[in-house]
Formats: sequence, C-alpha cells, structure tokens
Amino acid sequence: MAEQRDDDQLTAYTLGELEAAERERVEALLATSAEARETVEGTRAAAAALRAALGSEPTASLTPAQRARVERAMRHPKRDWGRLVLMGGTLAATIAVVVAISTPSLLRARIPARSASVPAQSRVIPPSDLERLKALGYVVASPMDSSPAGGPPASEPSNETYAERRDNAFVPVALEPRSTFSVDVDTASYSLVRRYLTTGQRPPLDAVRIEEMVNYFQYGDPPPVDGPPFAVRLDVADCPWAPAHRLVRIALKGREVARGQRPPSNLVFLLDVSGSMDEPDKLPLVKRALGLLVEELGERDRVAIVVYAGAEGIALPSTSAADRGRILEAIESLATAGATHGSAGIRLAYEVARGAFVRGGVNRVILATDGDFNVGVTNAGDLARLIEEQAKSGVFLTTLGFGRGNLNDQTLETLADRGNGNYAYIDGPSEARRVLVEQAGGTLVTIAKDVKLQVEFNPARVQAYRLIGYENRLLATQDFADDAKDAGEIGAGHGVTALYEIVPAGAAFAAPAVDPLRYQAAPRAATAHGSELLLLKLRYKQPDGATSAPLEVALADRQQRFDQAPADFRFAAAVASFGMQLRASPHRGSASLADVLAWARASLGDDPGGQRREFVRLVERAQAVGLPDR
Amino acid sequence: MHTEAIRTAIDTYQGRLIRFAARITGDLESGRDVVQDTFLRLCRQDLEPIADHLAAWLFRVCRNRALDVRKKERPMVQLAQAATEPTDPGAGPDRLVERDDLSRRALAALAELSPAQQEVLVLRFQEEMSYREIAEVTGRSVSSVGVLIHVGLQRVRTALGVHSNAPQGGGGRIDG
Repeated sequence: MAEQRDDDQLTAYTLGELEAAERERVEALLATSAEARETVEGTRAAAAALRAALGSEPTASLTPAQRARVERAMRHPKRDWGRLVLMGGTLAATIAVVVAISTPSLLRARIPARSASVPAQSRVIPPSDLERLKALGYVVASPMDSSPAGGPPASEPSNETYAERRDNAFVPVALEPRSTFSVDVDTASYSLVRRYLTTGQRPPLDAVRIEEMVNYFQYGDPPPVDGPPFAVRLDVADCPWAPAHRLVRIALKGREVARGQRPPSNLVFLLDVSGSMDEPDKLPLVKRALGLLVEELGERDRVAIVVYAGAEGIALPSTSAADRGRILEAIESLATAGATHGSAGIRLAYEVARGAFVRGGVNRVILATDGDFNVGVTNAGDLARLIEEQAKSGVFLTTLGFGRGNLNDQTLETLADRGNGNYAYIDGPSEARRVLVEQAGGTLVTIAKDVKLQVEFNPARVQAYRLIGYENRLLATQDFADDAKDAGEIGAGHGVTALYEIVPAGAAFAAPAVDPLRYQAAPRAATAHGSELLLLKLRYKQPDGATSAPLEVALADRQQRFDQAPADFRFAAAVASFGMQLRASPHRGSASLADVLAWARASLGDDPGGQRREFVRLVERAQAVGLPDR
Repeated sequence: MHTEAIRTAIDTYQGRLIRFAARITGDLESGRDVVQDTFLRLCRQDLEPIADHLAAWLFRVCRNRALDVRKKERPMVQLAQAATEPTDPGAGPDRLVERDDLSRRALAALAELSPAQQEVLVLRFQEEMSYREIAEVTGRSVSSVGVLIHVGLQRVRTALGVHSNAPQGGGGRIDG
C-alpha cells in the first residue's frame, strides 16, 4: 500500500535512516504538510521516551565461574566442543593476530590506558583487507617504529594513535605532468606538535602533518572581492633548503563573513563525559570553549548539548542563543560520570540537529572527545556512512580533540573528513578561543565544498615536482573533474596554502629509471606557453551545490631570490622546513633549525595574535630537546 | 593478541548482551548462560572477517542461542522484575524521578507489542543499531525491519498519547 509505505518513510526519516533521494522527497512533503510534521514530532518524542526508558534498564555481568570458563577457552580454542550449538559459520583454523590488534581501537573505550599496547608478533594480512581496516581507522602504526636509535626521549607511552604516512616523493614531469589533491583546513597537527614540545617531548613522526602546520597561521592574502568564494594567489622563488630548486606557494583565501552576516546556526555539541575526561585539559576546557563560542552567537542561532560515554542523552535541548543564561547554566552543570553501557550518542545528536534544521543556515554537530568513540554506533563502517549521509543532507561534523594519552588522532581526522568539517586539537584556552571564536566563521560557515586542485607542470621548465604534505589528500587525475568524488571544504575567512618544491629543467636530478613505452612515442617538450611554470586548475562547489565550477590560473616563471620573496612566502617555507626536520624527511635538504629560526624571525610581519612569535619559541624548544637528532 | 581482543569484547558487551538475552529467555540466570556460550563461540571464531561488525555478530549469535534456550523452557517474561545492579551512575535523583513516570508508561506500551516489534525497538533504542545492523542480528530484511519499527513505534506513540509539536525533550524533562 502506498500509504503504508509513506508512513514507514516518515518514521525512517525521523530516525535518520533514509538515503538522499528519499529524504529529499520527505522534506518536500514536510514543507507543505503540517500533519506530516506533527507525525514526525510525535514519532521523535516517542522514540526519545523509549530510548530513555530502555537506556535505564539494568545490565549484569558474567559470574566469576563463567568468566573463568571463557578465559580457559580463549587459551584453548579447540576444546569444549559439545557445549555449543553451531551456528553454521566456518571455524577458522588460524587466528588473525594483527586484526586482534585492530579491534581494540573501537572497543578501547572501556579499557584504561595501557602502555606499549602493540605486541611484538604479528601475521601478514592481505593488503586489500589491511587498507580497508586502515581506512576505518583500526590498524595502528606502532609508535615504537618511529623512534630513531638514541636521541632525545621518545614520547611517553600512551594510547594515542596516528596514521602512518610517508612523505611525497619527487615526481618526474615526463612520467606524470599533473598533480591532483584536495584542500585541507585541519590544523590539529600544529597544536599537537606544540603540546609535545612544550612538555619537552619529541612529537611522533606521524603526528607531524606539514600542511596542517603551515595552514595554522594567518597569512595576509586578500580575500576575494566578488565572483568565486575564494581568491587564488601564486608565487615562486628559490628554495631555501635546496638552492638548485624552486619553491612554489599556492594560496587560497576564503571569502570573509562578518559576524552580523553569518547565516543562522544550528549547533549540536556531542560531548564525551566519560571518566577519562575528568582532567583539567579535558572537560573543563571543553566547557570553557563552549562558553566562549556561546558568547559569539545571537538570537538567530541555536545550541543543543548531547552527552555520551559517561551519562547519556540530551543535556540541553536545542535552545536559542538569545537564552544565553540557560545555555551557560547547562554547560556549567556538565560533569563526568565513569563509564556506562550507554547507547545514546551520535544518532541522537543528528536527530536533535534535524529537529532544529535551518534551511540555508549552518547545521553542524561538533564532537568533542579525548579519544573515546563509544558514540552509540558500534560498526565503524556504519558510523562513517551515517556521517557521510548526514553531511550530504546538510548536517556537517566538526571534531575537536582534547587531552593527552588517549587521543585517536586518525579517527578524529577521518570523521571530520567524511563529515565535510574540520578537525582541530584544543591544547589550551587560547587554542579554544582561536578555533571557536576567532575562526568561528571558518570553523562553522562553509563557503565552498569539495575543493580540488590540479597542477599541470610545463616540461620545458620543470623536470620534477614534489607536493609538500597533503599525503592523504592526493586524488587520482580523473577524480579532479568527477563531482561524485568528495574533497575538502573551505570555511569563511580560511586560508589554504600548498607548497611545491620544483626541480627546474636542466638542474641535476636523479630521475627514477623507467622503461620507455613500446606503443607510444616519447613525450615531446612543450610547444606553447613557454614562459609558464605551471597551470593551476581548481574546482569547487557552492556549500549546498552538487556541480563544481572551474577556475584557472597560470604562473609565469620569474627569478626571485628567497630573501626577496614576500614575508608570508618565507614564513610558510620556514614552517614547512621545520615540519620536514621534525619528520626527518629525506627531502629536508640542507636546512637546520637555526635556519628555520632565521627565516621565521625575518618574516614575522604584523603577526596578528602573536602566532608567529609563538612559532619561533616552539622552534627554540625543539632545539632545546635536541631535535633533530640526525 | 587474540585473547586481548576477546577480553575487551567481554568487558564492552557482556552487560548489554546479558540484558538482551535475559529479555528473550525471561530470567537473568539463563541470560548469563547464553552470553557465556556466545563468548565461548567467539573464542573459536576467526576474528578478521567479523572485526568491523563485531557487535552485530555478537548480538546475532546471542539471540539465536537465547531463542533455542527459550524453546526448551518457559515463555517470555518481562525483565523488569529481575534484581540486578543499576547502570547510569551519572543520573541525578531528580532526573531519575522525572524519567520514571514516562519511562514506566513507555515500557508498558512496549510490552504490549508483538515479540518481533519489541525486539527491533529494543535493538534500535537500547542498542542504537541501524536498520541494517538490526536486519543482520534478526535475520530479517531491512525493509521488514523498517515496517516493524514503524508499526511498533506508532503504537507506543499512541499509547503514550504523544502528539507534541514542541521541540524534543530528552526522556521526559518538563522544561523541554
């Protein structure tokens, strides 16, 4: 019956279970039918009542004897046949030990931090499965692998997880003249590195993401006046750490949105209130950060708070920011509460966001955690899908990491990526202010989405190129024009910088040996646009759009010594060099930390907010800890 | 290690699995037995193929075992009477009281539904599973799950007399 089916659809819509096309159909219906809206509201209320009632039902534990029995079976899996009814699945002859390492990262919520959690022995997993597990944020690179022999003390043992990443290598233009990647405005890596260095520790190599460090800083690139939502600027000069090479800086700057012009916001904070959040740099800092943000909001904005992992449920229903007192009171009374078997979490947060959805406004779930992902969706694949579907339908996700020892950096970054949002690591009150107040426009208001860049290099002038950073943002050449392929977002006022190190034609370069093609003639040298180094192409979509629009800018070559380049150029290069040295990158060239200091000090400029001066102090700290040790 | 993963699974899921199993079998003791059997089964399972949907796998195995046990013993009885330790230590006293009235009525409405409807509502609102996960656990199709949840939820809604068009309140807070 069509009617029956429509009704099911309303329920499925209320519970967030519809795919895009069906969801849009229902939303169209809701726009015109008050009866349908009432049904949705009533269904939501009934769902909430059931959730609360069922959530408070008591649970229980196995008896000690039962537990012991399972312990014995763990050690001798082949015994105890007769006790069970076989379900028809196959019994494995071997045990996947490496996967056993990976499952704990989702289940980790219950276990207090243990040191050296990565075991010595492992078994090889088929590469395709390994990639899948990595993509889901399961497989962890051993922190022990990153430490060089000798040198300063390695970071304290912890349960933090960072995705492994290898630096981009030089690519010969003859082999691949086009470089394609997605923008990234995450800044977490810089605050992570800052946290490690200010506590006298060496940052793990995989916590250092150069593009995030470079993008942390404000640059003076002017925003666009009209036309596309961002302005593009290109510059080239000598490469300071490799004198025979050149350095290209690509800078995007997003349109500013004045506070009064910001579209209405519907924000839902999803907060981890498990026992582990009970440290000064965790929940108290979250509360302070929220308080700062609420000060910036107005009567057209709404805030809700959903908690998970300690207590559960709605701590504050969606409330107009005009009612500031009530919101601040709810924030004030947030408290941690051990670990529960709670199940409300991210689905509830999205349901609350849907309930207060603002068409044409900012609709966002902001997840704040120290690493506990017990958000109520137990299957990581489903979690990613949920987040993606919600993002497609206009509710984006921003992730904020707090605290130390339990941070799941990789998962936080992946979730923000899927959720069309950004990931920041909040290491103190000033970072909270920076992300949630100063950058609130950028953190909250997206001005362009799925922004992709493709650079084509002129073989007459460029022999090889290397994109510095963005290793996990690389795209296949054909993904550039494929609107179905997602990319990163740019927020209001956000800047994005990408650096390429270029080996000019004629310079010494040890090209990798590649057999010539049998069926095609060798590529000829360029015949036109002889004075250009490269062509930058961009594609972007409007925040609620589905088709991308193109932009193109060519960069003519010019001779410019490094010390003649603009201050922003030199400062970005200094940060990149610092990152490469922290990563002990094979491409760091001849630079030292002393060089980084000299370049940074000479390019402080206006230094709004004192960020560049802080960077200088950070480099000094790195020297003090004895970095780099090679 | 394999054993580490299993211990983690026990710590994470035993409480919820026992609650779920006891609801099916009707008493706590047999619920515990069922969950013990579920974990014994896990010990002999190759973890790799199920790692990314472990919860659904555990609940499915647990449910099947619980249904087998129930067939041999008594019909289903509400768990509400079972004496066990409380969860949710974070709930303040006034919040607990506000919840109780609406919660009692919600649970009563739930108990009036067919076993199939009760089961999917429990998996959705107690275990926060998606339609797809619930389909995997119960062996039904996703669309059947959708229909069962819809019919069950609407009956609960009617029983609660909820026709509100006010913004959502969490679990019965009056100041919604």
